[in-house]
Amino acid sequence: MTSNSTHSQDISPTDTKTKLTLTILSVWHIIFTVGALTGALLLWQGTTETADWLKIIFSIFLVLGAIFSVLAVFSIRQRKHRGRAISLAVNYLGFLASFFGLLHVTGFFTGIDSLGENFSKGLPYMGLAFVGYLIGSVGDRYQDNRPSIAQKFRKTAQVLGALGGILFLFAVGIIPGILSFISEFTSLPPILLLLSTIIFGVMVWLMWREPTRIAMNTRSKDQLMMEGYLFLSPNLIGFLFFFAGPLLFSLYSSFTDSDAFGNANWIGLENYQEIFNITIEPLEYIDQLAKEVINIEVYDELYRFNIFGKHYVIGAEDQLFWISLGNTIKFVLLAVPMSVIPALLLASVLNSKLPGMKVFRAIYFVPSVAAVVGVAMIWRWLYNSTVGYLNYFITGFVEFVNSTAGSQLLTDPQVGWTSDTQVALISVAIMAAWQWTGFNTVLFLAGLQNIPGVLYEAATVDGANPWQQFWNVTLPMLAPTTFFVLTTTTINAMQIFDQVFVFTRPPGGPGTSTTTIVLYLYKQGFQNFRQGYASALAWVLFLLIFGLTLAQYMRQRAGDEAI
Amino acid sequence: MKHNQVLKVLSLFIAFAFLFAACAPAATPEAPVAEEAPAEEAPVVEEETAMEEEAPAEEAEAAEVTLRWRTRPDNQEEADVYQGISDSLNIEGVTLEYEPGGSETASYQDVLKTELASGTAPDVFWIPGTDVADFATRGLILDMRAMADTTDGYADADFYEGPMFHLTFNPETSNTGETLWGLPRDVSTFALYINLDLLAIAGVDDPRELEANGEWTWEAFQETAEAVSALGDDVQGYGGSAWWGPYGVWINAAGGNFYNADRTACGLDTPESLEGLQFAQDLYASGATVPYGEDPEPPFRSGNLGMFQNGRWATPGIRTVDFEWDVVGLPTGPAGIPGNWLFWGAYVVNAETENPEAAWELVQALTTAEVQGKVAALGANIPSRVSQEALDAFVGFTPPANNQAFLDGLANSPTAEGPLWAGSWPDFVSVMDTAISSLLTSETTVEDFGATICDEANKAFQE
Repeated sequence: MTSNSTHSQDISPTDTKTKLTLTILSVWHIIFTVGALTGALLLWQGTTETADWLKIIFSIFLVLGAIFSVLAVFSIRQRKHRGRAISLAVNYLGFLASFFGLLHVTGFFTGIDSLGENFSKGLPYMGLAFVGYLIGSVGDRYQDNRPSIAQKFRKTAQVLGALGGILFLFAVGIIPGILSFISEFTSLPPILLLLSTIIFGVMVWLMWREPTRIAMNTRSKDQLMMEGYLFLSPNLIGFLFFFAGPLLFSLYSSFTDSDAFGNANWIGLENYQEIFNITIEPLEYIDQLAKEVINIEVYDELYRFNIFGKHYVIGAEDQLFWISLGNTIKFVLLAVPMSVIPALLLASVLNSKLPGMKVFRAIYFVPSVAAVVGVAMIWRWLYNSTVGYLNYFITGFVEFVNSTAGSQLLTDPQVGWTSDTQVALISVAIMAAWQWTGFNTVLFLAGLQNIPGVLYEAATVDGANPWQQFWNVTLPMLAPTTFFVLTTTTINAMQIFDQVFVFTRPPGGPGTSTTTIVLYLYKQGFQNFRQGYASALAWVLFLLIFGLTLAQYMRQRAGDEAI
Repeated sequence: MKHNQVLKVLSLFIAFAFLFAACAPAATPEAPVAEEAPAEEAPVVEEETAMEEEAPAEEAEAAEVTLRWRTRPDNQEEADVYQGISDSLNIEGVTLEYEPGGSETASYQDVLKTELASGTAPDVFWIPGTDVADFATRGLILDMRAMADTTDGYADADFYEGPMFHLTFNPETSNTGETLWGLPRDVSTFALYINLDLLAIAGVDDPRELEANGEWTWEAFQETAEAVSALGDDVQGYGGSAWWGPYGVWINAAGGNFYNADRTACGLDTPESLEGLQFAQDLYASGATVPYGEDPEPPFRSGNLGMFQNGRWATPGIRTVDFEWDVVGLPTGPAGIPGNWLFWGAYVVNAETENPEAAWELVQALTTAEVQGKVAALGANIPSRVSQEALDAFVGFTPPANNQAFLDGLANSPTAEGPLWAGSWPDFVSVMDTAISSLLTSETTVEDFGATICDEANKAFQE
C-alpha cells in the first residue's frame, strides 16, 4: 500500500508524456468498449450467414473485451497495476486476433502451402547465404592474428549472406506476394483489420513502456509475472484455441445432430440415449427370433444368454457401439500385456553391460518410429493365409513334427489371420504390441537405470538369487515407471485406430470383428457424417479412459501407501 | 542504431518477408506448361475458344479463373496421365490445377467430404457411383441440367444408360432425366483373371472355350475351381475380395438384387438372392477358394490361384506377373446371366464453386472420347462413352488378349452400380457386409440370414 502510494507520487509534474499516454489509453479503451458492444449487437442484427454458435462465441469475446476494457479505464485512472495488466491483456489479445484475422483475409494461410512448394526454388540462394556463413567462419580464425583479413572475410560473408537472402526471397515470390497482399486492400475488412492490428500493437507498446510501468505502480514481481505470462502466451493461447476450444465444441456437438455441413440442431441427450438404449427380453426357446420379442424397428439383436435355465436376448439401438466397445476391451486385454511384459523383460536384458547392447536398444526401438502404413503392409503379407510367412513356418513345423513322428500328430491349422473373425483382432493386437514394445522398453530401461545399485548389492549380500532380486527389488522400484507405461499403453490401446484402419480390409473387418470405438466413431463422423453422434461417442470413450486411468491411479496410490 | 536493434529490425524484416512471400500464390497461381492440344481433344471448348478469339487480350486476362480438379488414380502412372491431360486441356480463360487424391492412410471419399465441409474442396472432382445420391441430397454437388440443356452437342445418350439413369435422377420427383449431377469418367466390369499355366496343369477345359460354347456355367466354374484347388494345399481355385462387388454377382446371376424393384427396401431375403448366396457359401465352404476376407491378389500374383475375380482396374498390376494369363467372363447363373456389375464413377461439380460454367466445360472436356482413350490406354479403365470407336480402341490395349470379356460384361445385362436415393448407402452396406461376411465364413446359415437381414438392412431406408 505504502509502496503503491509512493509510486503514485513518483510521477513528476513534468512527465506530461506519460500522462498523455495514459489519457490516450483510457480514451482508446472507451472507444474499444463502445466498438465491441456495437459489434456484438450488429452480429445479431445483420443478415450474415455466420453460424449461431460462431455468433455466440464472437459475442462472448466482444462483451468480455468490453467489460474488461471498462475495468481497465477505471484502474488506469487510479494508477493501479491491475489496470495495466487488464489493458495489456485486452490489447495483446486484440492485436493477435486482428493480426491473424488479417492473415486469414489476405490469403496467407492458403498461400503458405504454396510457399512450401516454392521453397525449393530458393534453396540455391539459401546455399549462397550458407557459403557466406562459411566464409565468415573461416575469417574468424584470423581474428586474433590478422584482424584486417578477418574484417574482409566478415564483409564478404555479410554481402553474400544478404545477397543470398534477398535472392531467396525473390525466388520464393516476395514481389508477387507483396502485390497480392496490396491487392487485397480493396475491400473494407482487410483495411479495418490492418488498422486495428496497428492500433492494438501501439497500445500494447504504450502500456509496456518503462515510464508507463512506473506510472502504473507495477512492482518488479508483477512485471516478472507478466513477462512470464507473455512467454507462456503462445502455448496458452494455442491450448485454448486448438485444444480446449475444440474439446468444448465437441461437447456442444454431442448434444446436436450436426452433420458438418452447417446443419446442427440441439437435440439434448438423444445421442447419448441412442448409444446406451438397450433392452433385455426373455425368450420362450433358445432359437426364437429376436424380432418376435423385441421391437426390431428400434433394436438390433446384440447378445443371447442363459441364467438359471432361462434364455434372454439383449437388443441395442446402436448394436455397433457395444460390439466396438467389446472389441476395444478385448484389444486392451490382449495388446497391453503383450507390449508391457515383453518390454519389461527386454529392458532387463538390455540393461546389462554386455557389448553391443546399444545396437540392440536401437533395433528394438525402430518399430516405434516406423510408419504405421508400412508396418501394416508388411504384416498383411506376413499374415496372408496362403502365401504368408507365418503360415509357411507353421506348415513347415507341422510337417517336420509329423514326419519325425511318422504319423499325423499335428494338423496344419492354416490360420486365417486376417479373414477369421476369431483371430483377426488377435492379429492386430500382435502387430500393435510389436510396434509399442520398443517404446515401452526404453521407458523401462530409464526406470531400471534409476534403481540404486546398492539395493542389488544388499540383496546379494542377503543371499537373494536373480529371480528374487527381480521380484523383490526391481519390480517394486519400477512401480512408478510401470504405472506410467501401463497407463499410456492402455490409453493408446483404448484409442486404437490407425493400425486397424490400414491393416484390415474393409476397415473393421472381417465382419465387425476388429471394429473398435475410435474406428466406429470415425465412420460415424466422416463417412456417415453424423458428427454430433460421433462427438457423443468420443465423450463416452473419454469418460471410459478417464475412469480407467483414475482407477489405475488410485490403485497405484494405494500400493505406494502400503509400501 | 545499436547492434541489438539492427538484429531486431532484421528479424522483423525477414518475418514479414516470409509473410508476404506466403501471400504470393494465393492470388497469382502459376499457369501450367501447356502442351499443344490436338484440335479434336475438347471440341466443345474449342468452339467457344474460336468465338472468343476476337476478344481483347485484357478482357481475356481479366476473366482468367483457376479450377482445381481431382480424381483418384490407382498408381503414379495413372496420376501422371491425369496430370498430362490437365496440362494439355485448353479451356479459354481457365487455368487448371490437378490434384491426385487418395492414399493408403486416407480414404478418398472421407477426405473429400471433409474438405467439402470445410469449404476447401476442388471445383470438379470424381466420386464413385454409389456416392452420387449422398452428395446430391446433401447439396454438395451442382445440378448441371440447365447448363447441359443449352450446350450444343451434348446428349445424355452419349454415355451408358445405367450410370446416366442415376446421374439424371431427381430425388424430389423420383424421375430420371430431370437433373444432371455429373458425367461418368469411365466404366468397368468384373472378369475372372485366369492363370492359364495352373489350369493346364489341372487339366481342365479352357474357360474361354467353355464361354464361347455357352458352357461356362456355375457348375463348370465350380468344377474348374475344385480341380485347380486339388493341385496342392497352397493352391486355390478361386479368389474374390471381401466387399459387396464380388459377392453381389452371385446374387445378380441368380436373379436377385440388393434392393426391391424400386430400390426403396432391402431385397436380400428373396429366394433368388438367397439362392445366389447359398452358391457362394457352398463355394467358400468347399475349400476350393481363398478364404473369404483374405486378399486374393498375393496368391494370384505368386501363381497359386487359378481364377481371380476383379475389375478392369486390376489389369495394370496383373500385367507384371510371370506366368501365362488371360481373362474370361463370369460364369452364367440360374437366371441366364453372369450377373456382372457395371461399375462407374463420375466427374461432378462442387456446389460451392465460383465458376460453374467453367466447371461444366471442364467436366465435358474430361469426358471426351479422346481423353477417355488416353486413360483407357493404361489398361485400367473402359471408356464411358457409347462409342464403337472408343470400344475398338479399348480392345487393342492388350494384354489381356481377351479384352472382349470386359465388353461382354457390359453387354450381358450388367446391374449398374447405383446410389441409394431412398436411403443411406453407408448404413445399408455396413449391415449387408457384416451379415454376408458371417454367411460366407459359414458362421451363419442362409436360412438364418434370410430371416433377419432385411429387418436390419431396412433401417437404412428413409421413412
